[in-house]
Amino acid sequence: MVAKGQKRKLHREDEGGGSAWESQLQSVLDISMDKFHRDQALVEPCLLRSVLINNTLRQVQSEVRAQVESLSAVKIPTKSKPEADFPRLSPPAEHNTPLFSLNAENMDDDFMAWTSEEDFSLSSAISSILKDLDTAIDAGQGPCASQRAPLSSVENLTPYPLRTERTSDLASSVKTELMCPGCPQDVALDKLLLDIDTAVFEPEVNLLQGFSVTADDLVKYLPSLSKSPSASSSSSLVSHAQATWEIQEIEHVMDILMRTYPQS
Amino acid sequence: VNAPRGGVGGGNDFQWCFSQVKGAIDEDVAEADIISTVEFNCSGELLATGDKGGRVVIFQREQESKNRLLSRGEYNVYSTFQSHEPEFDYLKSLEIEEKINKIRWLPQQNAAHFLLSANDKTIKLWKISERDKRAEGYNLKDEDGRLRDQFRITTLRVPVLMPMDLMVEASPRRIFANAHTYHINSISVNSDYETYLSADDLRINLWHLEITDRSFNIVDIKPANMEELTEVITAAECHPHQCNVFVYSSSKGTIRLCDTRAAALCDRHSKFFEEPEDPSSRSFFSEIISSISDVKFSHSGRYMMTRDYLSVKVWDLNMENRPVETYQVHEYLRSKLCSLYENDCIFDKFECCWNGSDSAIMTGSYNNFFRMFDRNTRRDITLEASRENSKPRAMLKPRKVCTGGKRKKDEISVDSLDFNKKILHTAWHPKENVIAVAATNNLYIFQDKIN
Repeated sequence: MVAKGQKRKLHREDEGGGSAWESQLQSVLDISMDKFHRDQALVEPCLLRSVLINNTLRQVQSEVRAQVESLSAVKIPTKSKPEADFPRLSPPAEHNTPLFSLNAENMDDDFMAWTSEEDFSLSSAISSILKDLDTAIDAGQGPCASQRAPLSSVENLTPYPLRTERTSDLASSVKTELMCPGCPQDVALDKLLLDIDTAVFEPEVNLLQGFSVTADDLVKYLPSLSKSPSASSSSSLVSHAQATWEIQEIEHVMDILMRTYPQS
Repeated sequence: VNAPRGGVGGGNDFQWCFSQVKGAIDEDVAEADIISTVEFNCSGELLATGDKGGRVVIFQREQESKNRLLSRGEYNVYSTFQSHEPEFDYLKSLEIEEKINKIRWLPQQNAAHFLLSANDKTIKLWKISERDKRAEGYNLKDEDGRLRDQFRITTLRVPVLMPMDLMVEASPRRIFANAHTYHINSISVNSDYETYLSADDLRINLWHLEITDRSFNIVDIKPANMEELTEVITAAECHPHQCNVFVYSSSKGTIRLCDTRAAALCDRHSKFFEEPEDPSSRSFFSEIISSISDVKFSHSGRYMMTRDYLSVKVWDLNMENRPVETYQVHEYLRSKLCSLYENDCIFDKFECCWNGSDSAIMTGSYNNFFRMFDRNTRRDITLEASRENSKPRAMLKPRKVCTGGKRKKDEISVDSLDFNKKILHTAWHPKENVIAVAATNNLYIFQDKIN
């Protein structure tokens, strides 16, 4: 099931003559995302169509970015976020790509971070789409390969096995991510959010099959920290090393959620 | 280019008349019956269609009889055969459609006819031959084929060839398989009559007609990292005279001309054709509508024509920076692009074709309309393929789409157009003014009135 928020326009103070452009942007975005999701469900989407839709999405992305950049020149007050629940985190060491840690003091930076996250999530979403397409379509040449050097069968294989699962158990998904260092954020963001406007304009928490996640909920789902008997792993016999690892796991999850939904 | 004299032209110089329509009349169209390709052979005597069900139907023109002066010969069914069957790729868990994407005829070299037909993955060479005699008087078997009792054979005779009812047989002579990972969009026979090319979304292969177990990959635009893929191949064609030259078009509205003499791998083009974008008409859909759906060389080999969503462009091969002619097919759709994106019509792939003398071009549109442009007079005409205008030799009335303001009588407004009735495939007889227009599951044949 696709996590989708309500469609809303960006509430800006200066609407001006940009509303027609905005409404077309919104339409193109909605239609493109809808097509993208439908094509994802197909076993073999048409490559031409996928490329054109992806390029359109990229174009929308760059238009949004350009708009945001022009807006960030004007200081726009953003909504306040109760961030006392979440600890201040720095990105885990194994991540290769730069992450944007949130700074509660500087609202403008946060606004930029939102859109950068959205950009990041979108471009990583697009990347994972194309990777998916490739693994689905191009699993290697047949016996009559052309004279050119045959394509290696391991090219562009995605490192993580659980590409399309949406698991309600956040812990297991996090475990999977940590098994593949270097690309966990793709999986997390891919699963959690593909809808740009809800991230950019007004984040709406709609994870985990429909219920919103508060800090308490999150703690409940994490293994070994939960006091309830439904915890998946044994909490009583946890070693110090494992506890440390699990704390890092939690921090990592928090970090992702913070960046995706700064206010929960 | 000199304006040809006589009746060879297009647009209003002609009086197009209905000749025939083939196919079911039912309102319910079976998906398998939808025509997916139309092609005349090199003489125009044969007309082949391929459909979504993987079948090929070949029509043959009957000999002109001297008594029927008002119309040229009609096309009647000559042969029907199942070219491709649906397949299942077990390795990738994918179904391979049997739909015929392209048919291309080989030039005729003996009594038999040969054509190439391609679905998404496999190309087949079919031999279509006639049999109008059979041998009678075998020694070892009866007329009905049963073996004769050897003790009964007392004499020896020579079998005699006796006439029989004409039988047209289609047999697959070559199967070119397993060379395309992506979907084949084009095949094109080379002017050397020995080789042909096949193109899919990312690669182009060169085949020898005699050799099925290997092909040469001559273009590969697949990026090392599929995340970087932003452009695919949409069509390809061999030059009609220079067997070392071919072109391929892309989803970004560019055409690359390549020379196989330059290198074994033609990833680097010899010429690059692209029209600079008009910044005033830029929209979110600019790239999608610039995607080229068909590319065709002129018979002369000096020009090529490309079809994108809203227009047809004629390019001089010696000028890369812009087309020499641009024809608007249905410019009134420009303001509807968002809706057409939503209902997927914007992805429709229209084909285009030249007439025999390269003085006119034709392409399809919606509402079963098709358009013809006369390159010399610059006149254009919109005609409709419909059962309502299907009286024999009835002249086709020009149609007009009303783009705004008051709708005149006989005009149709843009909002009334039926976007499910699309003319994607058309073909023009190589020598005469006879055209074949595929409207979903029906094939219309129109001729011009003989002067």
